[in-house]
This record gives sequence, structure tokens and C-alpha cells, in this order.
Amino acid sequence: MNNMSLLNASIAQTLDYAAPILFAALGGLMSENAGVVNIALEGMMRFAAFFGVWGAFISGSPWVGLLWGIGIGILLGILHAYITVKWAGDQIVSGVAINVMAIGIITYLLELVFQTTGYSPPAPYFGAEVNRIHLTFLKNTPILGAFSDLTIFVWFSLVLVIVLHFILYHTVLGLRIRAVGENPRAAETLGVNVFKIKWFAVILGSIFAAVGGMSLSLGTLSSFTNSMAMGKGFIGLAAMIFGKWTPFGALFAALLFAFAQVLQLLLQSTVSGFAKIIPLGFYLALPYLLTIGALIGFIGRAIGPAADGIPYKKES
Amino acid sequence: MKDTLKKVIFGRKEKYWWMNILVPFISIFLAFIVGAIFIKTTGRNPVVAYKLLFGASGLFPGPYWKGHFAEMLLSSSMFIATGLGFAIAAKGGLFNIGAEGHFIVGGITAAYIGYAQPFASLPKIIHLPLIFILAMLMGGLWAAIAGYLKAKRGIHEVITTIMLNWIALYLIEGWLVIGPMKAAVETGVSGTPYISQTAKLPKILSGTRLNISIIIIIIVLYLVWYLFYKTTLGYEIRAMGHTLIFGMESPKASGINVERRTIQTMFISGAIAALGGVFMVLGILFQYPPIFEGGYGFDGIAVALIGQNEPIGVLLAGILIGALRTGATSVQLAHIPKTFPSIIEGFAVAFIALQALVRYWLMKLIRLKKSIPIKIEGDAK
Repeated sequence: MNNMSLLNASIAQTLDYAAPILFAALGGLMSENAGVVNIALEGMMRFAAFFGVWGAFISGSPWVGLLWGIGIGILLGILHAYITVKWAGDQIVSGVAINVMAIGIITYLLELVFQTTGYSPPAPYFGAEVNRIHLTFLKNTPILGAFSDLTIFVWFSLVLVIVLHFILYHTVLGLRIRAVGENPRAAETLGVNVFKIKWFAVILGSIFAAVGGMSLSLGTLSSFTNSMAMGKGFIGLAAMIFGKWTPFGALFAALLFAFAQVLQLLLQSTVSGFAKIIPLGFYLALPYLLTIGALIGFIGRAIGPAADGIPYKKES
Repeated sequence: MKDTLKKVIFGRKEKYWWMNILVPFISIFLAFIVGAIFIKTTGRNPVVAYKLLFGASGLFPGPYWKGHFAEMLLSSSMFIATGLGFAIAAKGGLFNIGAEGHFIVGGITAAYIGYAQPFASLPKIIHLPLIFILAMLMGGLWAAIAGYLKAKRGIHEVITTIMLNWIALYLIEGWLVIGPMKAAVETGVSGTPYISQTAKLPKILSGTRLNISIIIIIIVLYLVWYLFYKTTLGYEIRAMGHTLIFGMESPKASGINVERRTIQTMFISGAIAALGGVFMVLGILFQYPPIFEGGYGFDGIAVALIGQNEPIGVLLAGILIGALRTGATSVQLAHIPKTFPSIIEGFAVAFIALQALVRYWLMKLIRLKKSIPIKIEGDAK
């Protein structure tokens, strides 16, 4: 019994850790499949994590917070698309700009709105007992029991994987998105509006990243802390590459990274004897070492969409 | 003379070559305007903010100028180091976001060689250069891992440098600093022990913390410029950067050993970024603390981008960012958080990304004044 609940708890925790990484990865692959690199995921998550809490704090409802966060995600998506699609600007540079802005603007707003440094006061959130999704009948089943008490974000991230897979590989829109990412000129000759597709993909991807940011501040925690996103966006980027730009690949990668983190916590608390001597740092570094190891072992070349990162200009 | 200088500094023979220089300046200018609007909309006074910011930035003479000037150059030298590290890789078409990791690897190496016994009793003239060589070697090797994996296994350098950043952070702060390199408890020091006197960087301005780091980094800047434009290696690195996005075939066809050059480029990039960490430990902190105040690596990317990946540009951008950071502490007097300069930095980079738009505006301006002959344009031909 005890082992089973530990197993279930570990799986639930893995899913919880995986959600923000997965959202970031899905956001990244959405826009990169249409040929626009988005390294601003990190900054977008930070923006949305803050705006989500802000909205929830003012209105008293986490749903309003969610809308605020999605709103800022859309705005940032528009900014990134305006720079990279409309003016064919360098996508990496634009991403760096948003990341740097996120550090400055959010710390500024945190002090302005809440008069605090480093963290915000708690706001109503989706992790609260009433807002979690309870499936009590699963509670005592092994493995499936992990799904008995999750936040809305975790469910949404899992559903999104399936939806995105369907859209990208089984609809005309998905075919167009991928065509734009592989060979925009050819797509244009066939009558696809390359710019429209890119705008759509970038903004949609930014919304996913924003939701990922809020899964931290409104899902796992109930407040915004300054060190919140801390690399989650970049790990999401890694998960996207690791998963070879596919939704299910991203899911696998996000689960692997999250599992390595949970494993690290488990090992720290349960091991004895020799493993106890191994310093903390090695356990903390484990997820990242595993990733590099897996990259060397499992996949050789990670090949993205052919026209990924190349600004598209119409021939004049 | 003027022509060669132009060619040497900018290396371009385009018709409107001066736009390349103008774009960063306009971007920074626009960033300050947007920054002012941002302060205004949040109900604070932008004029007061900028006055405080520049008054304490060390760029202009004023009260306590000497101190501010010294602090500005101190932080600029670190921004230039990480910026230059990024720029070198970027010239070779590699997106190295590992500067953060190289910075701390350089820092911990400097701290260790700085206090550990067989080294600490060496005379300064040997000890100091030894620290620099070993720290740069470690930083370079750390970056070369990513270069190796890129060259031999085709693993994207973005993903490996991210992973290596975290691995470096956890191994250093989760193991070395609290384990084998921890200062003895009875000394009451947290973090590593303090470095010996022979490891401290000589000061060059009395009454301030300013040390020779700024001189070292300017020499390094010159060497990097020399490497880029005067050596075969530099030429090949640039050739790789120009063609990388269209596939690796053309540099290969002309006989460049792309795999080797990739590893070498990453090594140099990491070694120079590691310099920043050395400056931090030998000139400011004198030890490796339990938690390193980071961020220099990522700001280095912004510095390189504002400087358009050119050594001279990195110098100017590094000094600007260093000045903003130095002035930042005093904007708190106007009730503005001290992270405010990051906002301006972010906007400046955004306008750099939008340079097509800036160029479009400039072209419009030129067309408006077409009847007036433009002198600079004639020069370029």
C-alpha cells in the first residue's frame, strides 16, 4: 500500500514538473514548425507567470488571472511576429530582447504593483483544493491513481499534446504550417499565405508558453517569485529539440527531464550507504547529464524544419 | 588612411555602409525614448530617473565621478568578456549561450588556484598569469565539450550549452563550494577561502576598486580583432558563419576543416567568457561565494548583439551596459527598481532586431532629401 502511494505520488509529481516544460516545448515547436525560432519562451513564461498572479490577485479568481496571462502571451507573440515575420528581423536577437525585457520589466512591475522584491503575495490559484480536478474513483488504483488529483494545467498539457499532434499531422492547416517551415517559397507557389501562417503559429506558440508560465505561478505555487521561470523555458527548448520537433517527442522529453528531477528528490531522501556520500550537486546535475547522455546515445542529429530560423522575404 | 580604417573596422563595401554604424546608435536612442515612456506611464518622472542614472553612471563628470568611473569600468570589463565570448562563436555561426557557465567555471578555477597551497605561495608574477591561463583553459574546455558534440555528433549547441550551464552551476554550488573547496569552519567564511595576496589584480586608480581587468580586456579585444581580420583561422571562422545557415558544404569545399574549426571556435569563445569570471573573483569578490550573483552571461549576449558582434562594437556596448548598471543603484532614489537598465537593454536589442524597419525609415529620409547630394555616400564608393 505504502509503495503504491509512493509510486502514484511520484508519477503525479513528475507530471506536475513536466507541465511547464511541456508547455514551453509545445510553444516552441508550434512556431518552429512554421520556421520561426522562439528562444523568448523563457521571457514569455516569466511575463505570464507574473500577469497571471496579478490578474488573479486583483479579481480574486484564478480564471481571470489565466486570461491576463494569455493576453500578455498574445501581446508578446505579436511583438515577436512583428519583428521576425513582418520585418524579417533576426529571430534569435528578437528572442534575446524579450528575455532581457522580461527580467527588467517584471522586476519593475513587481515592485510597483506589490511593493515587494523577489515575490508576490499569494493569490487564488488552480492548485487549491477546490480548483484541482479530483477523480476519486481512481485513487486506489496503481499508476492510474496518479491522475486522481491533478491541476487543470497538467490535464491541459496532456490534452494539448494530442490536439497538436492531430492538427500538425492530420489537418490541412498542419500541413501548411509544416510546409511553411520546410520550404516557404514552395508553399507560397501553391497558394499558401506564408506570412499569415507564421503570424498564427508564433502567436499560438506564445500562448502555450504563457500558459506554461502560469502553470508555475498559478498551478504549483500560488504566487510569483523572482526566480520562478529560472531556466524552464530553456529546458523546454531543449525538450523540443530532444523530441525532434514533434508533440509526442516533446512529451517524452519533458517527462524524462521531470522524472530525472523527481528521481533526484527521491534518491536524496531515501538512499543510504554509499549513495548518501555522493554530494548533492551530482543529484541536481543529474537531469542535465542524463539529457546529454541521451542525446549522445539515442539520437544522432537533431534535424529541425529545413527553413527554421531563416526570415522569409517575398521576392520583389 | 581613412578608407583603410573604414574597411578595417567595418569590413563592408555596401552603398549605405554607414547605416550599419547608425543602426545600433539609433536603436539605443529609441530604447531610451521607450524607456522614458515606460517610466512615465507608471507614474514616475523619466527626467529625474535619467538624470540620476547618468549622473552615477561614470560616463560624465560629476560628484563622486572617480568612484563611479572605476565601478563602470570594472563591470564593463566583465560584460565585454562575456559579450566577446558570444560574438566569437556568433561570427562562426554558433549560438553559444553557455557564457553563464563559462563565467562560473572560470571563476571557480580562479578561486581555487588563488587560494590552494602549492600555487598560493608562488610569487605574484608567476601566480597571476598562471591563474589566467588555467581558468581560461578550463572555461575553454567546458565550451569545447559543446563544440565537440556539435562537430562530431551533430548535437545542437544551444541544447548542450544550456545543459552545461546547469551542470556547471550545480557541480560548483552543490558540490565544490560546499564540499572539497569549502573554507574551514573556524575561519567563519562561507564559500571558498579567500585568495592569497599574490592572486589579487593590481589596482590602477587609488581610492577605488579599479584594477587592470579593463586593460587586459582591451588587449584581448585587440587580439580578437586581429584574429578575425588578420589570420587564416579568423577568416575561416567568418566563412563558416556566413555559410552555416545554408549548409556546411561551401566552407568544406574550399578546404576548411569545419569540425576542427567548430571546436576551436567554441574553445576560444569559452576561454574569453571565463575571463569575466576571473575578473570577478580576482578583482571584486576575492573568493567564490556560496551563491554567485549571475547574469553576466546572458547580458553578454545583449552586449554582443548591440555591438553587432564586432570587437569595437562589443567594447562600446559593454561600456554602455556597464555604465547603466553602475548608475542603476542610484535610480532607486527616484523609486525606480534597479533592474530598470535591463528594460532599456531589452528595448535596445529589440530595435536591433527591428533593424530592417530602422533602415527602411532611414531610406525614406534619404529619398525625401534626394535633391541634396549626400556626401558620405560618395565617400563609400
